[in-house]
Amino acid sequence: MNEAGTTLSSVPAPVPARAGAGLKALHYQEIIERQPEIGWFEVHPENYMGRGGAPLRYLERIRQDYPLSLHSVGTSLGSHRELDRQHLKQLKSLVDRFQPGLVSEHLSWSHGYEWFTHDLLPLIYNRESLQRVIANVQQVQETLQRPILIENPSSYLQFRHSDIPEQEFLVETAKRSGAGLLLDINNVYVSCRNHGWDIEAYLAAIPGELVGEIHLAGHTVQAVEGVELLIDDHGSPVCRAVWELYRGTLERMGPIPTLIEWDSNIPPLNQLEAEVRYAGQYLESLGEVQHAAAE
Amino acid sequence: MLPLNKLQQLFCDALRVPGSPPPALLAELVNDGLAEKRFNIYRNNFIVLNGDALADMYPVIRQLVGEQAFRLLATRYVREHPPAERTLLLYGEAFANFLGGIPELAALPYLADVARLEYAWTDAYHAEDAAPLTQHQVAAILPDAFGRVRLVPHPALHCIRSPYPLLRIWESNQPGAPEQRISLDEGSCNVLVTRPGVEVQLQGISDAEATLLQGLQDGATVEGAVAETLQVDPEFDLAAYLGRHLFDGTFCRIRLDPSDQDRKNQPEETP
Repeated sequence: MNEAGTTLSSVPAPVPARAGAGLKALHYQEIIERQPEIGWFEVHPENYMGRGGAPLRYLERIRQDYPLSLHSVGTSLGSHRELDRQHLKQLKSLVDRFQPGLVSEHLSWSHGYEWFTHDLLPLIYNRESLQRVIANVQQVQETLQRPILIENPSSYLQFRHSDIPEQEFLVETAKRSGAGLLLDINNVYVSCRNHGWDIEAYLAAIPGELVGEIHLAGHTVQAVEGVELLIDDHGSPVCRAVWELYRGTLERMGPIPTLIEWDSNIPPLNQLEAEVRYAGQYLESLGEVQHAAAE
Repeated sequence: MLPLNKLQQLFCDALRVPGSPPPALLAELVNDGLAEKRFNIYRNNFIVLNGDALADMYPVIRQLVGEQAFRLLATRYVREHPPAERTLLLYGEAFANFLGGIPELAALPYLADVARLEYAWTDAYHAEDAAPLTQHQVAAILPDAFGRVRLVPHPALHCIRSPYPLLRIWESNQPGAPEQRISLDEGSCNVLVTRPGVEVQLQGISDAEATLLQGLQDGATVEGAVAETLQVDPEFDLAAYLGRHLFDGTFCRIRLDPSDQDRKNQPEETP
């Protein structure tokens, strides 16, 4: 794929069980100059689907120094319709070019009819949608020639005729498609709070061996007619409750690559780095605990 | 219970419409007394997310009309022109025409051209990579064959022609630019948009130069494009034009006339 002499190996650099961060355009230059202690970077491939120019050039440069994960927002796995072939083709060409260690997408849909919402919309959980999602995941994996991870979404509403709990829907999709899971602990927290689901039961239903990546992010709290709804805006530090759930998850599942997502009110790189370091401490202390247990 | 396709269509359509979501959709949601508010979070996200993409693409328009008016315009635009593009990188192509059709903006007649320029800027930013023309490529053309060649425009190239002082309006609304008064009587302007490396560059060009470029973009030979240009400006000086623009990222390749294919200058021919 890549000729000798090009900078990228044709073998993907695995994403390590360390803490990484979402790559933001305003940090490109500083990352290249300063090489911060961040285990790996993740990007939305849709931001690199231009024909050329600066974003691709920067990503190529940063990929030389860091493992990369592609976290798609536009595949629309939950669409009732055929997946968009042009989008899949572009995703495939980015996977070929950047050889990411991980590729993931959300359990949601965004592609409506003749237009694209560019949002992650909520899915009804029933037999019909399960069949559809499994078929769509298989189509993505066949196109990319590799398994992907499916992320649990954050959501604000539920459909009356949903009759499969979200966690079961995810596990069933993964098992039947051969995909793994991306466990977004902030999303679990947000959705469980918004719908009155049992957080511990949700997490307990996710088998550790399916989880290939963890996401952590901040959210905001909005009061709607006296009821608090949590909005997953990725615009603040990870909250205390989510850190605690993260600790429990690591203790049960072992070390897993963990991403700090920060997509709005983006802080300076050193603040993002501090959050990454903080997540890294959980991963490292876990290593020590396990080491001590082994001795 | 609706089948998945009907449910998703209903959901999608409701994202675009203000006011209460249709009863048929509400009937599909868990009713905890907040169903409508919960749906509105998605509707609001849809407007804000796509509106943010427009705000990123059109910072000068935003500056010219103010944040509040921009958000109202963006909301209306998102509803009328939901993204047909698979990514948000180039969302908003119809924004210039949309602005031109809003009666309340008639006092700012230059807005549509500013929007065209901002769209061109972003299109150039994401355009296919191509090296600008080099001395070496030009040296390979025999002088008497130059009139018959076609200069291939760089994939990032745009030329926006406006009856208003477009480049000055754009420059004076960049972050940190000193405040200036610009009179619309300053007259017309043609802005050349290039991206020879990764940075987008803007410069003003004359009417004659814009005419020449238009001819070359349409696939005319150098001779053909010059003939058209001389009708606009009998004084047009091709050598001076080439001195300024042959190597500045306006062009990326030279296509020879088939009859000249075999008689190229080949100064560095290697076996």
